[in-house]
Amino acid sequence: MSEIPDILTCTDLAIGHGKTVIMDRLNLSLAPGKILAIVGPSGCGKSTLMRALGGLDEPLGGKTTLMGVDLATANGQERQDILRQSGFLFQGAALFSSLTLRENIEMPMREFLKTPRKDIRQLAEYKLALVGLADAMDKLPSEISGGMAKRAGIARAMALDPAVIFLDEPSAGLDPVSSGRLDELILRLREAYGTTIILVSHEIPSILRTADFCVYLDPDTGTMGAYGPPKGFLQAGNSPKVHAFFTQARFD
Amino acid sequence: MSHAPTGLPFARTEVLADGTALVTIGGAWELNQPLPPIVIKGDRAKVVAEGLTDFDSSLPAWLYANFKNIRQLDISTLPARLQSLVQMAEKASSDHAQSDHAGLLETFGNWGVESGGSWARAFEHIGNTALGFLKMLVGRAKVNWGDFTLQLQTAGVDALPIVALLGFLTGLIMAYVGLIQLRQVGATVYVANLVSLAMTREMGALMTGIIACGRTSTAYASQLGSMNVSQETDALRALGINPIEYLALPRILAVTLMVPLLAVFATFIGIFGGMIVACAGDLSIEQYLTQAIRAITFKSFLVGFIKSIAFGFIAAWAGCYRGSVAKRSALGVGEAATSAAVLGITFIVIFDAIFAVIFNLFDL
Repeated sequence: MSEIPDILTCTDLAIGHGKTVIMDRLNLSLAPGKILAIVGPSGCGKSTLMRALGGLDEPLGGKTTLMGVDLATANGQERQDILRQSGFLFQGAALFSSLTLRENIEMPMREFLKTPRKDIRQLAEYKLALVGLADAMDKLPSEISGGMAKRAGIARAMALDPAVIFLDEPSAGLDPVSSGRLDELILRLREAYGTTIILVSHEIPSILRTADFCVYLDPDTGTMGAYGPPKGFLQAGNSPKVHAFFTQARFD
Repeated sequence: MSHAPTGLPFARTEVLADGTALVTIGGAWELNQPLPPIVIKGDRAKVVAEGLTDFDSSLPAWLYANFKNIRQLDISTLPARLQSLVQMAEKASSDHAQSDHAGLLETFGNWGVESGGSWARAFEHIGNTALGFLKMLVGRAKVNWGDFTLQLQTAGVDALPIVALLGFLTGLIMAYVGLIQLRQVGATVYVANLVSLAMTREMGALMTGIIACGRTSTAYASQLGSMNVSQETDALRALGINPIEYLALPRILAVTLMVPLLAVFATFIGIFGGMIVACAGDLSIEQYLTQAIRAITFKSFLVGFIKSIAFGFIAAWAGCYRGSVAKRSALGVGEAATSAAVLGITFIVIFDAIFAVIFNLFDL
């Protein structure tokens, strides 16, 4: 039986801002359809790692392959294709402020699909309904709350049915009911389409519910402190720091 | 039973004996192709799959769009993962009512209310600016004086080249037109009176005011509008600082101070521009300057100076006002910049007309 290749791998990856390295010696791989959570203390480089894994930023060293393409050597067109098959939710949602929520979701579809306009409208309405924003389709981003903007950002990330979705703190600013619904949505997306999901989060209960794997970034050592199934992090094992982070965050 | 071509998505409808619409779906459903049209009659439907080879989000989106208003929908025979995707959208949206669209009358009414509110906000802003100015005089306003000196530079000194160019060309054009007309009656020497009087009383202030609207009002509207978007003005309020005093007042003061100086500069440059044309024609430099000095009285200088103070205030206020009420979006900031320039120029022209009547009454 042929083995399915990993959708994401990174080898000796170094990330940072400018020329300053904040994390290095990062090695991980992820099979298609798996959910990876990136955790760690604030400012340790979680979002920077996510951007590097998604090909948005150049890493400072090492190698990253996404969907079989080496991001360091990929030409402009290959990089564009990879980005088109990826969906991103940024920390501040990054919705286009002059477009309504529906237009925000329709925008990538109009750019990349040949689907008729009325079908695109249906698709956008469905994606917004999935995240509970069916009643806010015609609102501008300035007219909705931060939590609603986050959900609209997720709907836009899902617009083109990407193979990989990167979510930067998706639950931040959401009430517990919406947060639980988002976890359910993440699991159903994976179940329905085999979507691979990489998320940055501080919500340990949410990570335990959804993630198959978890990478803990340790700012003291400047590299990953642990990598594996998140439930294992709850048990007192090799890394007391990781265990403390998980148990403290869980019961705080 | 006929089948749709393999691969293409299809939907077939038939009505069962009990009135239920039986919808058969199949084929490969992909985002990049048109979705099949469907008409459902009645409020009961059952959807079954036949030869459904593959689907992405286009199928649950199609089901959600076409069946969300069906009272009794049976999708129990569809693949479990498809059912869950449809049910999830229904579940998430069931608690919410659809947003309603405003009718023509309501739209007109909303426009009326918004226009009234806009004028009220404008007067409120002028009032708050005046109050802030009074508080500043008694030392109780928190004014960003760092901004004030910066604005003296950007709205004043940095505007010198464009003011010089436009002032020079205005004087030059007036002299050229005047020379052609006055030559017909043999009174070319009066071209100096025409240019110097027009520049001093009218064009120096008007041109500088319009430049301030195009250059400074729009910049202020963008600056304050962006600060609105990033909630910087909210942060000031939260700190107990009035944004009008802190942000608008130093800008308005700086421009109100600099525009009259720029107008005087434009006036002299304009008279110089007129001299170039006049001397290239029939006049000597000495003749032109003698006539010009004779034409400019203190009264006409005062008229131009008072106007330029008012125009400076209008230009700065229009920018600060439109910026402070800008919508919190990139589009809102752009609209604020445009409307600041339009508002400023419109008010300058209106006030120029009012000044003409007032100065005429006072024989100035």
